[in-house]
Amino acid sequence: MQGTKVVRPFPFFRAGARVSQPQLSKPILALEDVYKFFRPDQPTLRGVNISVDRGEFVFITGPSGAGKSTLLKLVYRELTVDEGRVLFCGRDIGRLTDGSVPFLRRNLGIVFQDFRIIDHWTVFENIAIALEILSIPQRLIRSRVAEALERVGLAGRGPDQTSNLSGGEKQRVAIARAIVPEPALILADEPTGNLDPHLAIDILTLFEEINATGTTVLFATHDHSLISKRDHRLVAIDEGRVVEAQKGLKHWPGSGIHTLVG
Amino acid sequence: MDVKSAMTRARRGLREERRLYVVAVTSLAVAFLCLGATLLGVTNLDAAATRWGQSGRITLFLKDDADQQDIAQLRVVLEGLGDVSEVTHVTPEQARASFLEDADVGADLSSLPSEVFPASLEVTLVNGVTRARSESIASRLTQFRAVSDVESYRGWFEKLDHLLWGARMLATGLALLVVFCVVAVIGNTIRLAVARRRQEIEVMKLCGATNGFVRGPFVLEGMFQGFTSALLAVLALLAGYLALHEPVDSTLAALTGSRIVFLSAWTMIALLFGGALIGAIGSALSVRRYLSV
Repeated sequence: MQGTKVVRPFPFFRAGARVSQPQLSKPILALEDVYKFFRPDQPTLRGVNISVDRGEFVFITGPSGAGKSTLLKLVYRELTVDEGRVLFCGRDIGRLTDGSVPFLRRNLGIVFQDFRIIDHWTVFENIAIALEILSIPQRLIRSRVAEALERVGLAGRGPDQTSNLSGGEKQRVAIARAIVPEPALILADEPTGNLDPHLAIDILTLFEEINATGTTVLFATHDHSLISKRDHRLVAIDEGRVVEAQKGLKHWPGSGIHTLVG
Repeated sequence: MDVKSAMTRARRGLREERRLYVVAVTSLAVAFLCLGATLLGVTNLDAAATRWGQSGRITLFLKDDADQQDIAQLRVVLEGLGDVSEVTHVTPEQARASFLEDADVGADLSSLPSEVFPASLEVTLVNGVTRARSESIASRLTQFRAVSDVESYRGWFEKLDHLLWGARMLATGLALLVVFCVVAVIGNTIRLAVARRRQEIEVMKLCGATNGFVRGPFVLEGMFQGFTSALLAVLALLAGYLALHEPVDSTLAALTGSRIVFLSAWTMIALLFGGALIGAIGSALSVRRYLSV
């Protein structure tokens, strides 16, 4: 007798799932006609269409309150779209069950402006948690955390108490935590917002180094001075709509970028 | 859920929130102590009731004019019954002497004449005779000519049964109250711990932790609190039992013929693991609402 076939809606996000070749050729992230409303008459995002290829570095910019963080939250499913679709590796994130959301997030590395690291934990513990969630053996965790610390310029600082670190160092710990599980996509939500301009450039460079290893990076910032220094693809959000430039500010399609990025 | 990781994080949680947990465990230990003390009372009442019920006695009060031949005949009948182990004839003089020896009413009763004490036959039943069988024997003995009255101590047993019923109800009520206390106290303790560790939970959820992964250490912490509280209560009860059972035992043995007993192994296991289980449930319930990140 043939048993009932159990269909898991998004097997790709389940532990141990493999990515097929056709999936690899698709954009890693695509937003299709996305709307998000917090007030019925005033959408925060209106008809947003963005496609991000594997290995790209994309600046998301716009004035405060423009919807940059909302866009990122839709990707890591803290929020769900009201209309349209958000596709990660071809899968519609909006249709994920609550039980599948953790498996989506295991494919993402998220960095915030306020670092979100635990002050009473050591640097090692703050980074290792991302691997403990994946049930990786302790021996492997130790070596991978050490490697991540080296990549962010904090080699040997594992035993340090996080509360004793400077702002820049805390952000490096947060970046190490984001990259240590080797995610496909890094979402950085104003990661330089709490840092001085010199440190901001250092952190941006660090993200670029991570991007150079093949990781896709979405870097949300409203810091004009920062995006003007690089030629990465630029996606600007204003009043919920998107304007794009493929090669930084030099190729910006219209005027008024300064008002956009504040 | 990775149990080893959950245990490591639970240990860290217990270390970081130790003051909170010490207060919670102390409060819960008091609640468990009340429950344990009541269960100890029920256990001892039960043991006494069982002992009295099984070592049955019947007293046959004889008529004043009963002749020796009737009494001898009655003794022969009684001794022929398989349920009877011993028959003792107590004369009015012996009854008076025994009364004066046991009585402690503070008045001089030596002037009481022996005629006020009826002669009796004290019938001791063999061990294991049920109360129903004892009642049946007693009702048949009333038909003998020499017997004026039969005391089967039914009233005592009824009173004891009532007392036991009341004690069991009290224990059940207390058990429910303790379950409520444990769930409430552990729930609130975990809720406080969760509130303090909210950022940790948020970080873990953003890194892809499942609800089970986040909930694991809190459930273990709740289990630990419940188990430790119950263990402390059992140890305190045991200490009290060891300190008091010597003096209490001899008095109790003289009064009731039974000795004080401690909680059975199964009761202790039920208390310890019940405590752990309720602690786990309390934690799981209180963490649930904080998992939506």
